[in-house]
Amino acid sequence: MTAHTHITPKKGWFNWNLKELWDYRDLIFLFTKKSLTVTYKQTILGPLWLLLNPLISSFVYMVVFGRIAGLGTEGVPEMLFYLTGTAAWNFFSACFSGNSTVFTSNANLFGKIWFPRLTVPISTILTAAVRFAVQLLPALGLLIYYGAKGAVHPDWRYCLLIPLVVVQLASLALGCGLIVSSATAKYRDLNVLVPVGTQLWMYATAVVYPLSEIPAGIIRRIVLINPVTAPMELFRRALLGVGTPELRYVLFSWALTILILAFGLALFHRVERNFLDTV
Amino acid sequence: MTEKTKPTSGANETTPAIIMSDVSKRYSLGQIGYGTLQADFQSWWARRLGRDDPNSKVTSKAGRGGFFALKDINLTVARGETLGIIGRNGAGKSTLLKLLSRVTAPTTGTIDIYGRVSSLLEVGTGFNLQMTGRENVFLNGSILGLSRAEIKENMDSIIAFSEVEEFIDTPVKRYSSGMKVKLAFAVAAHLKCEIMIMDEVLAVGDAAFKKKCFAKLRETASERDRTVLYVSHDMATVRELCSRCIVMDKGRIVFDGATDDAVRLYEELGSSHRV
Repeated sequence: MTAHTHITPKKGWFNWNLKELWDYRDLIFLFTKKSLTVTYKQTILGPLWLLLNPLISSFVYMVVFGRIAGLGTEGVPEMLFYLTGTAAWNFFSACFSGNSTVFTSNANLFGKIWFPRLTVPISTILTAAVRFAVQLLPALGLLIYYGAKGAVHPDWRYCLLIPLVVVQLASLALGCGLIVSSATAKYRDLNVLVPVGTQLWMYATAVVYPLSEIPAGIIRRIVLINPVTAPMELFRRALLGVGTPELRYVLFSWALTILILAFGLALFHRVERNFLDTV
Repeated sequence: MTEKTKPTSGANETTPAIIMSDVSKRYSLGQIGYGTLQADFQSWWARRLGRDDPNSKVTSKAGRGGFFALKDINLTVARGETLGIIGRNGAGKSTLLKLLSRVTAPTTGTIDIYGRVSSLLEVGTGFNLQMTGRENVFLNGSILGLSRAEIKENMDSIIAFSEVEEFIDTPVKRYSSGMKVKLAFAVAAHLKCEIMIMDEVLAVGDAAFKKKCFAKLRETASERDRTVLYVSHDMATVRELCSRCIVMDKGRIVFDGATDDAVRLYEELGSSHRV
């Protein structure tokens, strides 16, 4: 029996062909391999940059937020606190910004050959996940060091939740990224906003400061409503044993994540059929 | 047609590979790529009020309906057939192929495709210059729909065909443009799909390589159960490859029949347009 494809002008919202995606799993793997290897070709330090980047930014946060702004870290050694936060945030922001340009940066390729378009966002996430694992290494090193000294106490029960935290960060970033990329297929305005927006978003998330440092009020409410805060707090609770993620905020952020992801996927699917005519 | 009936699936020459019914594709002129929210809102508002779109750069000719790159296309291609598609630039050939390769969706009508489609449009799409020839064979092959196992299986044959054996583990950016094209064609030539779309693919490489490519194309096209859509401005190759041919003009199929008649019509069309 040969494959039968039926093409109509109908624009469905939910019409996923997961089998097709599975058939192209080799392509997902190759896209991932490509972005992992190509980025560091023609650099002297190569993949070492992966480790250096969070170290440098953590150092900056240590100076700016720790020394100058005087924000606490709930008793966790500063470097460890910032390293953990940046690794998780970098994972989120790489997924988000990488996926926010799916259509515009692949217009040439998408315009010539059809293949399941979702292979690109999925490989972006896998790439970011590999980098996340590498970026966590220095944090884990410090964790073992400080753990042995008794300066931090990981919360082992929460450690079981880490896979869920990673899945949530990826889903949320994918959803947001797909919404932005679908919109930028036509409206380029958003392209300008993404880098600035990501930066602002980070400050509205408990990344470089613990939630407990934010006094009650409008700002705390914004930080709490921000769906990235809950997984962030969970992550720190697990590894560093600090922070008190409240169940209702965790559930709220999961609900929002599922909503955003569903909307992003639906929008992406709608745009992919005709985006070539507008790009 | 000389195809034999395939006993297992019961397929015969009348089994369709592609059925297009009443397919049209409209592009809205002027607004394409305008791309700011405000302008789009303006256009939307104007349309709601039934006024002319203030952002449309082409209003008189195309009107509010936009421009039909394809209009009322009805076409059935049988399995195993090699169909030539000819027509002047802008006749709608590429749009037709884009619809069939699923790159963009039709505005009206339905398309049924029986089998896996691969397009040989512009060889080398998706090559990454930083990666080696071998890595690019994997990447390009996967984009075109081959699995890793299929690529591995054909690797030796692809490399041999490409004539760039010595440089296969060198980054593609060090290749000459001719070498890139040869490697890309070698990948494309090893695609295993039921329906193959070939758009001006023979403009590659030196004379000797071109000859080799054409031989490979002919071999591919003659495989039974392999359906080929062949677009070219080179009438000699169209005559040689295709038994049936359609002529397109201004988004419509104006002729569908024997290749010799089609080519004659195409040449007449060309001369009448030139005046």
